[in-house]
Amino acid sequence: MPGVKSKPVYAPLEADRGGRYHLLLGMGEGGACLLRVLHQLQTFSPASWQNTQVLFASATKDNPFDDLGLQSVALFDDGAALLERARAILERSLMGTRLYIAGPESFIGRVLQLAATFNLNKDEVRTEHVGSAARRVHCVHCRASTEDVRTNIVRCSGCSRWLQVRDHYSRRLAAYMGVIVDAEAPGELPPIMEIHS
Amino acid sequence: MNPAQTLPVVVTAVEQVTPLIKHFTLASLGGEPLPAFSGGSHIIVVMHAQARTHRNPYSLLGSPRCLDTYEIAVRRMEQSRGGSHYLHDEIEVGSRLDIAHPVNLFGLDKIARKHLLIAGGVGITPILAQLEDLHDGPIPYELHYAVRSPQHAAFAQRLRDRAGERLTMYHDSAGQRLDLGRLLSNQPLGTHVYACGPAGLIDAVVGTARNLGWPDSHIHWERFAAPPVGEAFEAYLARSQLSVRIPPDRSLMESIEAAGVEVPYLCRGGVCGFCQTRVLELDGELLHNDHFLSDADKARAASIMLCVSRARCKRLVLDL
Repeated sequence: MPGVKSKPVYAPLEADRGGRYHLLLGMGEGGACLLRVLHQLQTFSPASWQNTQVLFASATKDNPFDDLGLQSVALFDDGAALLERARAILERSLMGTRLYIAGPESFIGRVLQLAATFNLNKDEVRTEHVGSAARRVHCVHCRASTEDVRTNIVRCSGCSRWLQVRDHYSRRLAAYMGVIVDAEAPGELPPIMEIHS
Repeated sequence: MNPAQTLPVVVTAVEQVTPLIKHFTLASLGGEPLPAFSGGSHIIVVMHAQARTHRNPYSLLGSPRCLDTYEIAVRRMEQSRGGSHYLHDEIEVGSRLDIAHPVNLFGLDKIARKHLLIAGGVGITPILAQLEDLHDGPIPYELHYAVRSPQHAAFAQRLRDRAGERLTMYHDSAGQRLDLGRLLSNQPLGTHVYACGPAGLIDAVVGTARNLGWPDSHIHWERFAAPPVGEAFEAYLARSQLSVRIPPDRSLMESIEAAGVEVPYLCRGGVCGFCQTRVLELDGELLHNDHFLSDADKARAASIMLCVSRARCKRLVLDL
């Protein structure tokens, strides 16, 4: 989306040789991206391999990391449980840690939001977007979040206003801004289309 | 505001705090408050010595909450071009000086989760003011201060009063060494490290931190370079159409200023990058002495820092 400066930029994940500890966080299709990073980390020093941890959330219960013989892999059913564990790990993590995040955009956004509370900067975090482009939308009127939004217009989960989903992204809130779309003529809505799938 | 604009001050106290370091207290002539600053700031002190005018950067070490006076500490440099000797030998209570407004190139990161402050020798000065900013605040910090011996430990009592148990001192004379590897390998996420002192200390902090995986955005350091003595050459200012001779003991910046051309600057110590100037022609090589340009930029020789760098050449043409 050219011209929207706030819109996050993602890139294929690559292992960072400069890092000392590596924390990989993935969801769903992001598992394949993490595998790629793990294969690179395996070629680094044995110490980096020992200092590697994976947190992976998937609905399908499969473990794509089974064959790697990695000590520290934790699997979760959903993102919330994963984030809770990630917070506990970051609490006792040391300088020299790198984060690798792969998955749908709302998952990346929520992990980044958590990373920011630990003052992790851009040079410590890498992100790759795969899977759904569904958006997390922040209602600028009632401040409720509406998850998994695929349409240009959505009904707010908090105040039921019809919101236009904007391209303006807030890293602090890890969400796109939603602004009332029918303020001047209540009930008159532009066509609703699925555009973020 | 033009940061190079100066204001006159009077020296209200002078104290020899170590065999090499003198502590000067400055106040405005009329007693009105001095401009506000934050911890880590420096001022340029303008010294009108007999032979020449010196303009040297010195960190402010007093509390940013007390604007009645500014405090600086000056180490007597063995190979001084005259600035530190002038302050040590000529300046006494009642002397007048001109100073430029404070500029901060070494501020604390406002959203850090922890600050790790490392100082060697007179490099403690900006950190003294940073401690005042940290005092009473919620962010944890540690201060590690390395000196030659107890008699060289400037401001030790003030540091103890402020930092208490968060201060660790290392006396080289007693064989006490700061173990950077141990210190930097054991810091929580979100820590920022700040180093000020001799080149060897700064290089060791930056190098050790990077080796341990610290990203550059968490590593901060400040060291003002002094313009080195070199060979004479000619600088031609293309836009001013003016030829300036650069003698061995004057910097490009000083010589260009003396010729009546104003050059922008904030630090005069090779740190801020304000005086970066394009090189148009060169019949020799540039002798870079700044901490601003990357190694790649230095190799390209397309620009030069007028404050501390010079050239070994006959003629250097500048876009000035």
